[in-house]
Amino acid sequence: MHELDRLHSVTWACWAAAAALTVEIAPNPVYVVLVISLSAIVVEVHGRDRPLARAFPILLLVGATFGAVKVALTVLTVHGVGDTVVTLPEWTLPRLLGGFSVGGTVELEVILQSAAEALVIVGVMAVFGAFNAVVSHDQLVRALPRSFHEAGLIVTVALAFVPSTMATVRSVQESDRARTGGRIVRRGRLVRLALPILATGLEKAIDLASSMDSRGFGRAAGTRGERLAAWFAAGGLVALAAAVVALIGGSAGLGIALVAAGASLIVLAIFIGSSADNRSRYRPRGLTWSDGAVIVASAAAVIILLVFRSSGIGSLSWDPVPLRFPTVEPVTVAAIALLSAPAAAGPYAEALVLPSTSDEVRA
Amino acid sequence: MKQLCFRSLSFSYPSPDGSRVSHSTRWERARDAMTPGLADIDIGLEQAELALVAGTSGSGKSTLLRCVNGLVPHSSGGVLVGEVVVASRSTVRNKPRDLADLVGFVHQDPEAHFVVDRVEGDIAFSLENLGTEPDTMRRRVEEVLDALDIARLRHRSPASLSGGERQRCAIASALAVGPAVLVLDEPTSQLDPQGAEDVIGAVVRLNQDLGTTVLMAEHRLERVAAFADRALLMGGGRVVGDGDPTAVLADYPGAPPVTRLGRLLGWDPPPLTVKGALSHLRREPDAVPVPVDPAGPPPAPAAPGEAIVTAEGLDLRHGKVRVLSDVSFTAKEGEAIAVLGRNGSGKTTLLRTLAGLHRPQKGKVDCLRRASYVPQDPNTLLSAPTVRAELEQTQRLLGRVDHRAVDHWLDRLHLTHLAPRHPRSLSSGERQRVAIAAVAVGGAELLLLDEPTRGMDAESREALRSAITSHVASGGSVVLATHDVELAAGCATTVVVLGEGQIVAAGAGRTVLTGSLFAPQVLRVMPPFLTVDEVRAARTSA
Repeated sequence: MHELDRLHSVTWACWAAAAALTVEIAPNPVYVVLVISLSAIVVEVHGRDRPLARAFPILLLVGATFGAVKVALTVLTVHGVGDTVVTLPEWTLPRLLGGFSVGGTVELEVILQSAAEALVIVGVMAVFGAFNAVVSHDQLVRALPRSFHEAGLIVTVALAFVPSTMATVRSVQESDRARTGGRIVRRGRLVRLALPILATGLEKAIDLASSMDSRGFGRAAGTRGERLAAWFAAGGLVALAAAVVALIGGSAGLGIALVAAGASLIVLAIFIGSSADNRSRYRPRGLTWSDGAVIVASAAAVIILLVFRSSGIGSLSWDPVPLRFPTVEPVTVAAIALLSAPAAAGPYAEALVLPSTSDEVRA
Repeated sequence: MKQLCFRSLSFSYPSPDGSRVSHSTRWERARDAMTPGLADIDIGLEQAELALVAGTSGSGKSTLLRCVNGLVPHSSGGVLVGEVVVASRSTVRNKPRDLADLVGFVHQDPEAHFVVDRVEGDIAFSLENLGTEPDTMRRRVEEVLDALDIARLRHRSPASLSGGERQRCAIASALAVGPAVLVLDEPTSQLDPQGAEDVIGAVVRLNQDLGTTVLMAEHRLERVAAFADRALLMGGGRVVGDGDPTAVLADYPGAPPVTRLGRLLGWDPPPLTVKGALSHLRREPDAVPVPVDPAGPPPAPAAPGEAIVTAEGLDLRHGKVRVLSDVSFTAKEGEAIAVLGRNGSGKTTLLRTLAGLHRPQKGKVDCLRRASYVPQDPNTLLSAPTVRAELEQTQRLLGRVDHRAVDHWLDRLHLTHLAPRHPRSLSSGERQRVAIAAVAVGGAELLLLDEPTRGMDAESREALRSAITSHVASGGSVVLATHDVELAAGCATTVVVLGEGQIVAAGAGRTVLTGSLFAPQVLRVMPPFLTVDEVRAARTSA
């Protein structure tokens, strides 16, 4: 019945966790590039028409920037063994900044090693970007226990402000330029730009708050059940804090008892809070067979890779000393290929049902 | 039994200094302050009535509407005396969220309405908050999707929709709870004409077919006046007119052009639509003044001077979409050029290219004098604490402060009385005028105005029209991208129509607009006159 959501948000969360773990378990650059390309294919197949769909390229770019900075810093400060590519002028930092030397010889192995580590960052960012581009955040909120519903909703609303704020930043910059007929005045520019951005964001937030209020949000708040749940949750947190003190103090028995008590109080609070919530849910969606298949495939990929790591097969990692191309083994590639299950589960159905919509988006 | 009752309602905003003062002094001080409140409102609305709230910016329209579901005073602050009762529930004791099942409220800016990133889910949001049974909820959502004809958009993200579609989705989600009253605060002010038609059509259908009680504020009366059962005219926080739209709007300066035409020609009652005006005209054909020059009535456009900006063979793409193709364009001294065309036809892109914000892939722009661009959204510009400081800001950026120019532009755009106010405390039409003044005060010869009349009331539009005319008369030039044909008819010497990034028609305003489906109202009633002012001038000289 839900043609649109080919896969459940929970499935996407599992897939993203599995893909991120894969990058961590198998940091071999070839495998990381494989995961990044799989993420790109998944975004291509399942991408949605929302502003957050652009999360994938943006986060990829952010990851690449971080990676580049990391490589640059490593190359400047770490000196290892191997072939010297170039020799930079060396400079010793003042004692206040650590007193170590910057620059000097740059070795190929150091560059490759840090680039491989940076690629892992890019890989994790790519997976996170793909997750945000394909998941329905609203459905993710609905999948949470009901006591977390309001907190989750606030997070998704805040997330929706990111793309609109970016658009505001761009148009404020342009307005500032156009105001003087193209001349850019640097003095006081930051304040001139920041004020309209902040004020516009604040106005939008106030409008949204009054709109949510008019639509009955928070109407059920303050019932007896919710107050009870709040007390239980507070009690649970106090017990957990006490448990930390007890564990540090060395009384393990008391500590474990307190952890158990705190955890059960919090579970109870979630349970009471959820049943006290008299909001209803529109079209709740359960897991389907394709969801199951994707979850199983993602879990299998992680388990197989963990087995490979413990038995030392599959060339999961790569060491640039001595210098050689990373080894690639077909079994590992096959295991990682299991992460393409969402792409195999079929595309975003609306694209098939209503081909005309893409024209309207453009218009 | 009335559906909605305002009982001797008065309201004042909190005093500007925020100090805690006794109830009565606070009330008196706020009454004297410029912030509009409400005074002595006594209205009752019957079931299935469509009531239109008209009035200038700052006359208290929004405040009145926000009283219906208790946003005033619960989220605005301020002092409220009297009460509003919706289906026997008072807003004094109930918060907006407790009235969510009785009042459907639609905001002016559709963007501010959406909480869930899918249309269907957003419609269900209010129902979920009310704890509606899942079966009922499912049925309700399907029904409102059909009632507003948006079933094909159900899985889309609101952010990907056009303005008109978005506003209809917002109305659907307000309607889903089955409210006693639907409140719409200028629902079309941010939309293009097509989107506005869709929204008004949907509201009228809801009112006539489903019997929904509607309270709606609107500036563009020509679209709704004909459908309203009742008009409430607001002025200075009071209801100054209440009753049949024809009678109430007869003397209102913001009435549709045909109504003003009817008033000029002494038709009683003045018509609200072109159809009404034409039937009057059939009865008294003598009313038509003979144009002084039948071939083309006055005034003959002043001879344009030297070119300020010329663009040749502009080609521009955004990604794969071709936005402008082979557009050549010249603006000369003493010319006011109106660029018309539907949304997405390239109007904004053309203006931005002339302003140098876009670089065309082919062709070139030669700007011989200084050109300044006023963006569509004035909020991106306003950063100063007062209106006057906003204008001085531009001059400081350009390295000179000329207080005479500041006073001159404040006066030209009727902003003098707003000079000490904070720009963000103004209505959207007033903000738009501040943005235009703040850019124009820089002294650029060419002004590029992008959709300047969005959200403007009649008075603001008239102020803008006369400011454009006088800027042009003093040797400047104005290019405006607009949907507002009445504004174009009132001030443009040249009209350019864009379609799919190409120039479809260009020439003198009268020539281009004659025979167009989107001709101004007066031209449709008595060609070749474009505006009421032209008819008046012809009658005096005849």
